Amino acid sequence: MNEEQKQRYQERYAEEKQKGVKFYPDIIYKDTVVAFGLFILLVGLAIFVGVANEPKADPSDTSYIPRPEWYFLFLFEFLKYVPGAIEWVGAAVIPGVVILVLFLLPFIDRNPNRYWSKRKLAISLMAVIVLGIVALTILAVATTPPQPETDTIAGTITEQIVVGEELYGLHCVECHGPDGEGGEIVGVEGLEGVVVKSISSQDEMYTRSDETFYNVIDYGQPDLGMTPFGRAYGGELGPGAIETIVTFMRYTWDDRVEIPEEAALASAIPALGPDEIPSYEVHVQAIVKRYCISCHRQGKQNNDYFMSTYEEIMESGANAPNVIPGDINSLLLMSIRREEMPGLDPEVGPMPPTKALKEELLEIFRRWVLGGAPNTAAEAEALSPTPESAPPAYPEPEATP
Amino acid sequence: MTSKVMNWLDERLGLTGIYDSVLDRNIPKVNWWFTLGSASLFLVGLQGITGIFLTVYYVPSPDHAYDSIQYIMNGVAYGWLIRGIHHWGATLMVIVVFIHMLRTFYCAAYKYPRELTWVTGVVLLLATLGMGFTGYLLPMNQKAYWATTVGTEIPGTIPIIGPFLTQVLRGGVGISAVTLARFFSLHIWFLPALIALTIGIHMYLIIRLGISYIPTKED
Repeated sequence: MNEEQKQRYQERYAEEKQKGVKFYPDIIYKDTVVAFGLFILLVGLAIFVGVANEPKADPSDTSYIPRPEWYFLFLFEFLKYVPGAIEWVGAAVIPGVVILVLFLLPFIDRNPNRYWSKRKLAISLMAVIVLGIVALTILAVATTPPQPETDTIAGTITEQIVVGEELYGLHCVECHGPDGEGGEIVGVEGLEGVVVKSISSQDEMYTRSDETFYNVIDYGQPDLGMTPFGRAYGGELGPGAIETIVTFMRYTWDDRVEIPEEAALASAIPALGPDEIPSYEVHVQAIVKRYCISCHRQGKQNNDYFMSTYEEIMESGANAPNVIPGDINSLLLMSIRREEMPGLDPEVGPMPPTKALKEELLEIFRRWVLGGAPNTAAEAEALSPTPESAPPAYPEPEATP
Repeated sequence: MTSKVMNWLDERLGLTGIYDSVLDRNIPKVNWWFTLGSASLFLVGLQGITGIFLTVYYVPSPDHAYDSIQYIMNGVAYGWLIRGIHHWGATLMVIVVFIHMLRTFYCAAYKYPRELTWVTGVVLLLATLGMGFTGYLLPMNQKAYWATTVGTEIPGTIPIIGPFLTQVLRGGVGISAVTLARFFSLHIWFLPALIALTIGIHMYLIIRLGISYIPTKED
């Protein structure tokens, strides 16, 4: 730009300024409106969309599909189209050149014109770049495969306890028992007859920190026969999952810690009304999750009876049917009543192997089978005697004075 | 009384001078697109304030970072709101700063005499992206961890010096406590200092040169 052009620009600018507006209040007013709008937008996003809860970082999780932040996605997508051997050109040279050009733009673009139609080259180059970035971002988002199911994410203490209890039921009960009481292990391959000490005692709770529990679950106790459960050591659990188990143990067994009321309610097995017929959904599932599922699930080699779903409980295994609605001598009931059942193949022993279920839990199973073994709460309600379906009650005889 | 106080302050602070040169100056008539610069400034301020509040409870160590964020979200009064604003503010920042750049480009505002305003603006755009990149790791969740893993791998593809660059970024072979410490310090000290300084120069230039007008056919 030569002196004459500079001169002309300055005159032109002075003229525009002359017929312009005051910075205060005109511009300040507009800026305030926009700032306020953005603030409302942000508060709205924070309240109504929030920040998605993500599981804790787990370097051992190889199934996680890494993605950069959305505003770097275009670069990520762009690199996919660059052949591997010259990947560095796409990763460093091209972005480096773009940034350099961006910095030096005022010195590269010597065109003195300012109106868009007189700067067609610059405008179209920028348009191509911007459209390219937008298109690559959209393409990257569209082609992103959904993240595989990872660890359950538990936010509040109550959620953690509930998730932890479920995981404890799945992974720990077969050796440590439903209440961490331990004892002799029955029916676990390789550990048959091993006696496990209680992990829920006051001694244990008072002398072991959360970190110790975490590490024991993560690495296992190889000398004592406990396999590692942490994914980094060949187990199935990520760090978040192990933490929920520790939280569950601490809040449930440590008498110095008070379990939140919500969590206690959520983990209690729902009580039954006097004539109520229990359902799988509400009652039986809760018991099964705590006492049975640890051994009776897919992937366990030592038995063929699975209890993860209603259908499995009714029909899985070589001895099916396991539950015949209305039959007090259904296989499942005889097994938990610890009765001898000769002549079955494979054999069915008393369940749970080490210790009988509590009387009230046996009662729930008994009433469930006799009441027709309903699956959902709605079905159970339909089967339950209700005031409407019950035969009309005779009026109470009036008390004679 | 008020005027007496004002006069006393004015004598010492030069308030009238500031008012005349900053607030009471003529500006070419412009449209709403020209508010994006001050919108960016507002967002920087908001990110700064919410960020300062977040540092009260945030712990920059891999063992505690995730839990400290959980505590901010579930335990601290309105912690979820502060984090929500900071989280979405980052996204909005990138969008607003980028559109602000496109506006100045379209209006040819980078030309004489505002070349340096543009250069400082590019520094601010890159610093904004840097803030996004370093801030993303801090919650130490799966998304953050893996995004940083791939992000720091990109310079590693450069021949010869690449692996060294990746090591410098990570402070070791993998993402570790050192990476988190480096990103945290970049996020709350180095980059904000750079941004504050550059915004100072950017603003000085804007006030000194005035904002550009919308070019017409004769320009």
